[in-house]
Amino acid sequence: MEAVTASDDPSRKRAGAELNLKPTGRVQPPTSLEHKAGDKTVGTYTVEDAVFACRDVNVFYGSKHALRNVNIDVARKQVLAMIGPSGCGKSTFLRCLNRMNDTIPGARVTGSIKLDGNDIQDPSQDVVQLRARVGMVFQKPNPFPKSIYDNVAYGPRIHGSTRSRADLDEIVCTSLQRAGLWDEVKDRLSKPGTGLSGGQQQRLCIARAIAIQPEVILMDEPCSALDPIATARVEDLIEVLRESYAIVIVTHSMQQAARVSQRTAYFHMGELIEVGETDRVFTNPRHRLTEDYITGRFG
Amino acid sequence: MLEGHISRAFDGALASLHIRVVEMGGLVLDQVRETAAAYTEWLVAPAQHVLEREAEVNEYNTRLHEEQFTLIARRQPVAGDLRAIIAMSNVVHELERAGDEAKKIARTVVAQGARPGPATSRDVRHLGTLAVTLLRTALESFDRLDVVLAADVIAQDKELDEEYAAGLRRLMTRAMEDPRQVSVALEAAFALKSLERIGDHARNLARHVQSIGDSHPLPETVLSAGNSNRP
Repeated sequence: MEAVTASDDPSRKRAGAELNLKPTGRVQPPTSLEHKAGDKTVGTYTVEDAVFACRDVNVFYGSKHALRNVNIDVARKQVLAMIGPSGCGKSTFLRCLNRMNDTIPGARVTGSIKLDGNDIQDPSQDVVQLRARVGMVFQKPNPFPKSIYDNVAYGPRIHGSTRSRADLDEIVCTSLQRAGLWDEVKDRLSKPGTGLSGGQQQRLCIARAIAIQPEVILMDEPCSALDPIATARVEDLIEVLRESYAIVIVTHSMQQAARVSQRTAYFHMGELIEVGETDRVFTNPRHRLTEDYITGRFG
Repeated sequence: MLEGHISRAFDGALASLHIRVVEMGGLVLDQVRETAAAYTEWLVAPAQHVLEREAEVNEYNTRLHEEQFTLIARRQPVAGDLRAIIAMSNVVHELERAGDEAKKIARTVVAQGARPGPATSRDVRHLGTLAVTLLRTALESFDRLDVVLAADVIAQDKELDEEYAAGLRRLMTRAMEDPRQVSVALEAAFALKSLERIGDHARNLARHVQSIGDSHPLPETVLSAGNSNRP
């Protein structure tokens, strides 16, 4: 206890001079999170209404073990964001979901990846059909060197999902509307898709992906080549699309992951470190590595 | 601060904010100590000094909130950083409110109504000592982010509440014994209440310290048996 006494000279002393507090400048306790790499994945990886169920997924590029024992579900009508530093395996995992790794020489995928209960790794799986069900949008907008109309109509044509020109017109119109691009391009459908702005091209690619009515849309850093306005439009579109599709998005922007996703998975050196509700992961991560990455302590 | 942000400027900004909150705490602690002493010794000069320095407390409050807004806008903190900044904002709020209570007591002294008797002064001195100790401990727990010390503060606030209730009873007894003392007793009751409120603010401050480190220990139920990625 310290006795209360009146000061002799009221005009003296700077604030807190008698306190003897030595400000540490520390704003976080040093031992708040104790999980280290090598622990079990933190969080619940299963969901009730899973479109994808991935178990013990490993990916090897030649002798390199790129992804280790990943278990995770993808829920319908939800956005799953995958974050992590470069080379952590998030894009590798994304490419497993529509067997894009098949195109990489020396790539080998083990484990079980079930889409609606059927293992897509099964040799009898028709990869073209798989990619019709699992669409993909890439980092850099890659419209075909064709008209805007043909870009969107390409998928339905090759998959034979339309019978008449009227059906095709309907699909193109609906897809462009859902991608939020119709009003901007309806008067120039015959013009080349490559003539659109970057943001419009990316939305054209999204329209192309949804034209074949996929169940899942994979997005690999879809906004990294876009300006903030175009990014906001794509993010708004993701919010609309998730009412109909499951979306898995790889992003380097943690703010984007926080804005658009309902679940977040954090990868680190080929391991799934933590997965959980985005609200929780960004306010109260349970793994030290997640905390360090999202607060900008490494990456 | 747990250092190691890739951005050293962010480390610096967080540390600077923390240090300035501690500075503000030091100022408020001085205010509380001085106002309690001014009341017990019935001296105008230190009470006047408390009133003059209240503007400094408010200035700290305004500046620190501006810094916190800027830090949030520029850095978009998440997780532990976000909790720390929000907790520091709450700590500043508690300190400002504690400063307000000190000001209320100082005003009573500056007005120089009827001087409280020795027994009343003793009660105020005792409660003032408890409040200063509690606030000081709370500030130490904030400075060191010591959640154990913060828990002590929360527990000790109950002792202050009990002393307040006892002091109030004694005050009422003296007022009933000598009705001429009612007006003095009333003002003394307000002073005691202010000191009790300062204790509450110290307790709240300690709770905010706990919230900074509140990373929710991982419940075992989350890690269900089948939830291992390494079977």
